[in-house]
Amino acid sequence: MGRYTIRRLLQLIPVLLGTTFLINYMVWQLPGDPFAGRCGQRPCPDAYVNAMRAQFGLDQPVLVQYWNFLKNMLTGNLGVDFNQVPVATSLADAWPITIRLAILAVAIEAVIGIGAGVLSGLKRGGVIDNAVTLSTLVLLSLPVFVTGFLLQWLLGVQLQIVNPTVSDEATVSELLVPAFVLASLNMAFTARLTRTSIVENLRADYVRTAIAKGLTNRRVVGVHLLRNSLIPVLTFLGTEVGGLMAGAIITEGIFNIHGIGGLLYRAIINQDFTIVVPVAALLVLVYLITNLLVDLLYGVLDPRIRYE
Amino acid sequence: MVEVLSEPVGGGSYEGSLLEVDDLHVEFRTRAGVAKAVNGVTYSVGAGETLAVLGESGSGKSVTAQTIMGILDMPPGKITGGEIRFRGVDLLKLPEDQRRKIRGEGISMVFQDALSALNPVFPVGWQIAEMFRVHRGASRSDAKKKAIELMDRVRIPAAKDRVNDFPHQFSGGMRQRIMIAMAIALDPEILIADEPTTALDVTVQAQIMGLLADLQRERNMGLILITHDLGVVADVADKIAVMYGGRIVENAPVHDLYRSPAHPYSKGLLESIPRVDMKGQELYAIKGLPPNLLEMPSGCAFHPRCPYRRDNCVTDVPPLYPISGTRGSACHYWREVLDDGSR
Ligand SMILES: Nc1ncnc2c1ncn2[C@@H]1O[C@H](COP(=O)(O)OP(=O)(O)OP(=O)(O)O)[C@@H](O)[C@H]1O
Ligand code: SF4
Ligand SMILES: [Mg+2]
Repeated sequence: MGRYTIRRLLQLIPVLLGTTFLINYMVWQLPGDPFAGRCGQRPCPDAYVNAMRAQFGLDQPVLVQYWNFLKNMLTGNLGVDFNQVPVATSLADAWPITIRLAILAVAIEAVIGIGAGVLSGLKRGGVIDNAVTLSTLVLLSLPVFVTGFLLQWLLGVQLQIVNPTVSDEATVSELLVPAFVLASLNMAFTARLTRTSIVENLRADYVRTAIAKGLTNRRVVGVHLLRNSLIPVLTFLGTEVGGLMAGAIITEGIFNIHGIGGLLYRAIINQDFTIVVPVAALLVLVYLITNLLVDLLYGVLDPRIRYE
Repeated sequence: MVEVLSEPVGGGSYEGSLLEVDDLHVEFRTRAGVAKAVNGVTYSVGAGETLAVLGESGSGKSVTAQTIMGILDMPPGKITGGEIRFRGVDLLKLPEDQRRKIRGEGISMVFQDALSALNPVFPVGWQIAEMFRVHRGASRSDAKKKAIELMDRVRIPAAKDRVNDFPHQFSGGMRQRIMIAMAIALDPEILIADEPTTALDVTVQAQIMGLLADLQRERNMGLILITHDLGVVADVADKIAVMYGGRIVENAPVHDLYRSPAHPYSKGLLESIPRVDMKGQELYAIKGLPPNLLEMPSGCAFHPRCPYRRDNCVTDVPPLYPISGTRGSACHYWREVLDDGSR
């Protein structure tokens, strides 16, 4: 497994180079000058635009720009944004909030999704099963921003149980509702996947063996059935961590959370690519690393998987 | 009615056996209708005795075994009648927690396909040790030690090094040995082996049968050996129960049945075994298809395929006629069949 891990890590290098180049190339070559619109109603004076272009290296060839970007990333020098604020500072403020939000969301997906899936799979056609089927259908058919605005309005504005927006501290309790919104789609899918997996494994021969061994029902389900049924579910949860980060952009926008998503959201509106590019590159990195971890986790969960 | 002739062989002649299945009825309620999988099965096995249960695919051998173990899928399965007495106590009337204690401790089962019957994600040693941990409250290390001893006993080479391996890392024969080790872990009084060798190579089949026979003798277990291969039972079994359409059509001490079957179906089975002295001759095969359990033939279920059939076979259900104290046949014309002998 060690050799496999090293090979997979080496494979990350060309993928990262390719994706970051694409990100760089695409955002800076977008039609429209990012500097022209920064002077209120009137177009900016040529002198300002030219000065900015020079500062951010836009007057140089694409490959040179990319080379400079790589050099800066590797030396940890992220430079300043269009407002001359260090990018590193903005990132350092935003990351912990998004990580907190993402961990909460994954926890919600796992606990509620798996719990509901197991209960409905064990008692097919029962009250819980029908309730889970219905509620997951609703969650799966609603776009995230609808769920988000709905909960914000209901819990924050009408019932006033929570604050409609999240403060700068972004405490765990403040993040609960946004995390639920962020988790909603995956949670519903997790519940369904768990249910299917449980139903499938219930019929498996090894479950019958476990009963024939004279084990208690609790042990048959809790040890033998669950351990097998959760393999695809945990793999799904892991794979979706990357997607969760992307989903955070919408959720953080709705609840005005100052995390990575919010930062990216505002940077895109301002066309400030000094922030967009490193954040997008980081998201790519997170995505690639979680994928690698999931592949390794899969081998731990299912001993039949062999890495060559 | 012919039934007046005699009362069926069964509980009476096997009085006091360790395990007695008595007039068991099981059906499956499916969308297609009610499949009567077991229709009055009666058999018994005592300590140190081997009963071979024989019959075509779908004759209800496994369903009977699953009902004994209490691992029948319910629903769609439903037990509609009969008793299963273990040391005289009807298992079907016991509450689930008492029933559970008998599984593994009193009655154990070895399944056909060890690869799917073992849990793929736990080491084999752990799966054997689980018996001691759950039933006997043994410590992790004691249970593991016992698991290694058992793996040694079922002749798994280098058991100590392989105790942490997973089922997929073993060959088919070795996996079945692990299954057997797990089943005999707690020294059960009855071992049910449901086609334990069907999934294996011929040479390995003989080894596994030999192992089962050894263990049975050594531990004085009652062994129920389910198979549809009459060839393998001659050496190991004491008696045979032949099933057809969810019923016992003949039961007999193994040598009596081999010498002269008393039911046309057993006779057909015997004649379809390849034999050295019959080399070159065409093998006999029973004509026709197994009965449709949703719509059993009237009278004797075997009548559509029976060369001995007379008119009353179509209307009268044959009871299990006693031939001797240890032998019975569910055929109106068993005398005729018996007199014809085997080929
Ligand atoms: N879970 C189930 N649901 C519906 N029908 C079933 C179920 N299990 C068994 N049956 C039916 O019961 C009948 C008897 O099956 P059983 O498994 O006992 O046959 P068998 O004698 O063991 O055959 P084989 O030699 O193929 O193992 C079959 O027709 C089968 O279709
Ligand atoms: S009862 Fe009749 S049909 Fe049935 S086995 Fe005997 S002879 Fe054949
Ligand atoms: Mg079977």
